[in-house]
Amino acid sequence: MSGQGVPGRILASLVYWVAALALAAALFYGLDHGVMAMQGLPLNWDLSPAQ
Amino acid sequence: MADLKTMLRLWVRVLAALVLLGAGAAATCADQADSLEQRIAPVGRVQLDGASPLQPLVEAQPKGADAAEEPVFTGAPQLKRRDYPNIGVSSRATVWVLAQMHLFFGALVLAVPMFVLVIELIGVRTGDDRYDDMAHEFMKISLTAYAITALFGGSLALALFLLYPQFMEYLMRVFGAQMLVYAVLFFLESLFLYLYYYGWDAMRYGDRKWLHLTIGLTLNAVGLTLMVVANSWATFMMAPSGVDEVGAVVGNIWEVMKGPLWNPINLHRFIANIAFGGAVVGAYAAYKFLAARTAEARAHYDWMGYTSNFIAILAFLPLPFAGYWLMAEIYAYSQQMGITAMGGILAWLFIVQAVLIGTILLAGNYYLWAGMSRTDGSVRYQGFIKWIALTLVVCFLIWVTPHTLILSVSEIAALGGSHHHVLGPLGIMPAKNIAVNLMLVVTFLSFQLYRRSDKVATVKWERAGNALMGAIYVVAIANIIFAGVYYGYFTNTVYKVGSSVMQVVSTLVVIVAGVVIDAYMFKGAKQLPSKWGQVPDRAQYALFALPIAFTWLMALMGYVRSSVRTHWHVYTVMKDASVDNYIPTIGYAGNMITIVTLLFLVFILFIFWIANLSTTKQPAPVVEGGVE
Repeated sequence: MSGQGVPGRILASLVYWVAALALAAALFYGLDHGVMAMQGLPLNWDLSPAQ
Repeated sequence: MADLKTMLRLWVRVLAALVLLGAGAAATCADQADSLEQRIAPVGRVQLDGASPLQPLVEAQPKGADAAEEPVFTGAPQLKRRDYPNIGVSSRATVWVLAQMHLFFGALVLAVPMFVLVIELIGVRTGDDRYDDMAHEFMKISLTAYAITALFGGSLALALFLLYPQFMEYLMRVFGAQMLVYAVLFFLESLFLYLYYYGWDAMRYGDRKWLHLTIGLTLNAVGLTLMVVANSWATFMMAPSGVDEVGAVVGNIWEVMKGPLWNPINLHRFIANIAFGGAVVGAYAAYKFLAARTAEARAHYDWMGYTSNFIAILAFLPLPFAGYWLMAEIYAYSQQMGITAMGGILAWLFIVQAVLIGTILLAGNYYLWAGMSRTDGSVRYQGFIKWIALTLVVCFLIWVTPHTLILSVSEIAALGGSHHHVLGPLGIMPAKNIAVNLMLVVTFLSFQLYRRSDKVATVKWERAGNALMGAIYVVAIANIIFAGVYYGYFTNTVYKVGSSVMQVVSTLVVIVAGVVIDAYMFKGAKQLPSKWGQVPDRAQYALFALPIAFTWLMALMGYVRSSVRTHWHVYTVMKDASVDNYIPTIGYAGNMITIVTLLFLVFILFIFWIANLSTTKQPAPVVEGGVE
């Protein structure tokens, strides 16, 4: 990383952040479905109530 | 070495026994999950049969030749006002003060040995004597408080037998020999407590240290058992089980104990006691810090105060969730009881609760921010502080916004209705759930930044790790707000309630992810110097604020928990016919709560003074020509 220029570092940070946000969003999306389903409250794909 | 192995085996066995005990209890509960109706017999049966709990006392008298074989069930006494002795002062106020003082000191005495044991174990693992010294000093507070706990406990028992004799007779009949078990446990608690404290230096090193740790573990096992036994009396009064609709005992002692509110109360008190104990010993450290005359003493008590705050805040973070579970179980047991607590006169006390919890979080965060000045590495994170403070203040204001205001006609006209058109929606639970969870998330952020401030990560994946941690914070906060707003205001009630679990899980994910990521990221990190003892004096006042707010909070919410029984000694089976069989005004309750809080703080100051006195040595008087 130390050999990268400023644009390279910014790009690398951007990639890290986009990947991390995508990973976290997927994690919480799955958790939302799981937590609500465990309570007998299923959700649609867009997180609206299925009942 | 052989002794060490034996000791380790003993530890494993004790832990296994505790786990099996817990698993057994859980299994028993699970086995009888389908018999919920029996567990909540009084309310459930009254609803199903239409029988009134106000029916006269039923005694199934044996008749005829089979009399000897038929069980005799005697219900709870039906009292009249003349059955209560009048000693000239309010019976309720007397018992209120004594019970609350006993609970304060009991919480302290049971909690301190729990974290002391952990600190002692850390000392053994790290070989750092400072941990051992600190743990020993914490125990000094607990030991001094122990005698006062017993004095208030004895006084409470005498007051109850004097002022509420029939009620105590009934409780004795219901719990029977379990009361003696409690007495035996109390004896064991004393035995292990004295052994643990006074044996500290005699069992300080080598294999003897493991013996000492085992004594500490046993002390905690006995203390916890003592607590859950006493909790069963309180929860029986709120949600009786093992008795029929008139209070006659129809189950065994285990069925009487394991009412629907027992485990929620057990968990809530377990966590709350640790937070409370941490806060009180933190005040002791602050007191010693401000009184210290040497740099060495200031460094020691600064570190002690930091550790105490760490314990108090860490235990406090999951506490709202345990409280939420307790309230959910109260609602499940009796909606009327739940509404009395959160929708009636007592609801206003939840606003006061919000003020006190806000005080605790602000003080805890402030202490962490001030403590960051101990290391130069903190400059990297100081930019976050203003945003954390802003979030805390905004969420605090949302939390204290009441739903229903007590208004005059002219005020309603000026407002345009009974609810403010903008602030009104902030008065209901979805808004408050968002506020509470965000306050906990940013408090954990303060804590995480503090922990990071004296370290520089050396792992190659530092940037990726930070991005992941940051993303988890961002998405968790967005998820908490989304769940609160969308399900809270735009879907049905069932989804609204269910989404609060989603919010809790989001907060817990942040905490767990933060602990795990930091544990790996800062393994082998470069350590920056921390200047212990150079924290500003004003940070110590935050440590004083914590136990004051905690004590007030315990008195307040303990009162709410007890008051939800309204005019019943034992809910739905034994009516309170005394002159005090009503929920007092908020003003009266507030005064009582404040009096017990101040009284406890006076006693705590006395304990600090005594603890200080025990280390003070008067210099030998010097006279001319020699020593006197």
